Amino acid sequence: MKQDRSEALEIAVYAGIILLQSGAEIFRVDETVERITRAYGVESCSSFVLSSGLFTTAGNQQEEYFAKVRHVPLSGARLDKVEAVNELSREIARGQHTPQQALEQLRQIDTMPRRPAPARLAASGLGSACFCLMFGGSLPDAFGSFWAGLLLYLWLMAVEDKKLSKITTTLLGSAAATLACLLLFRLGVGQDLNQMVIGSIVPLLPGLPFTIAIRDIADGDYIAGSVRMLDALLVALCIGGGVVLVYTFYYRLTGGWF
Amino acid sequence: MPLQLAAAFLGTAAFALLFYVPARHYLSCGLTGALGWGCYLALQPALSAPEAAFCAAALTALLSRVFAIREKCPVTAFLISGILPLVPGAGIYWTTYFMLTGQSAEALRRGVETGKIAAAMVLAIVLVFELPQGLFRVFGRRARP
Repeated sequence: MKQDRSEALEIAVYAGIILLQSGAEIFRVDETVERITRAYGVESCSSFVLSSGLFTTAGNQQEEYFAKVRHVPLSGARLDKVEAVNELSREIARGQHTPQQALEQLRQIDTMPRRPAPARLAASGLGSACFCLMFGGSLPDAFGSFWAGLLLYLWLMAVEDKKLSKITTTLLGSAAATLACLLLFRLGVGQDLNQMVIGSIVPLLPGLPFTIAIRDIADGDYIAGSVRMLDALLVALCIGGGVVLVYTFYYRLTGGWF
Repeated sequence: MPLQLAAAFLGTAAFALLFYVPARHYLSCGLTGALGWGCYLALQPALSAPEAAFCAAALTALLSRVFAIREKCPVTAFLISGILPLVPGAGIYWTTYFMLTGQSAEALRRGVETGKIAAAMVLAIVLVFELPQGLFRVFGRRARP
């Protein structure tokens, strides 16, 4: 029985970490940890969740003491994992999994493969082209955005497993997309450089941190929400910075605006 | 307008793939994005950009909650992809562009507007998520016996 309790807590913390890394809201992590521990008969568990860490303790007169602190670095969106853990935790609550089975399932979720590279590249290009059209670009502009968006994602994929800071990644990504648009524009692709760049930087936009931040703050999780909002703000600044970098160089080299 | 809506649908679905939303939800993600953007465009002539963004973000959040119940999937999947067309990426670009080219007044105007749009979206999302979950139950599919 003793073994069971600490195993239940391990499972709950594992599930919480996967959620936190994949872009879930704080209340969802909180709820999931509680749901799993209760399903396995631990009554005294309490957890404190930040966007960058998870603290869990349990223990009272009847139950033995347990504590676990895990640091979770901010990372990208894996909504497939969020959905899978969410589903699994409900199944656990219905009593469909023994602790061993649950742990096995969580390991599988944790190592879910990434989507194939060509599909993601194409999606990034297509997304950029579509957003270029939406913000008032013409079809030739969208064509330019497509290639710049694709190139930008190539850069994002190249650094996704490296320990490069988000600031550097975004700054250089935005610069690369702008540079690609500029070169394409000079080669005669597209009619309006501005529209091309607007489309091609969309894959960098901080939609996820922004949305999650709002929901966290609305739920009263101010610290987690502020961290995410700061993340969104910095990313937005870095996108602007990348554009400035390339345009300034171009101006100094050629002495004129495009 | 039809081209715009089609672009919003496709663009949102493409980004849903990049966020690893499971494939069976692409259609709903695309719809959320397209309807939100359609609402924004339709209101643009009458309202200011932040006002239109408020209404469009509220619609997007409502649709996300409906789809989340219907398809039994965390609301994040629809909200994050659907809200993307409204995130003022163009505003960020124009602010930096005008700042760079020395048109400070124009840069300030664009920057303030970008901030207002973001604030309007925050307000809309917060309000819609305060609605009790019970209101959305009617959209749930009854479990097959």
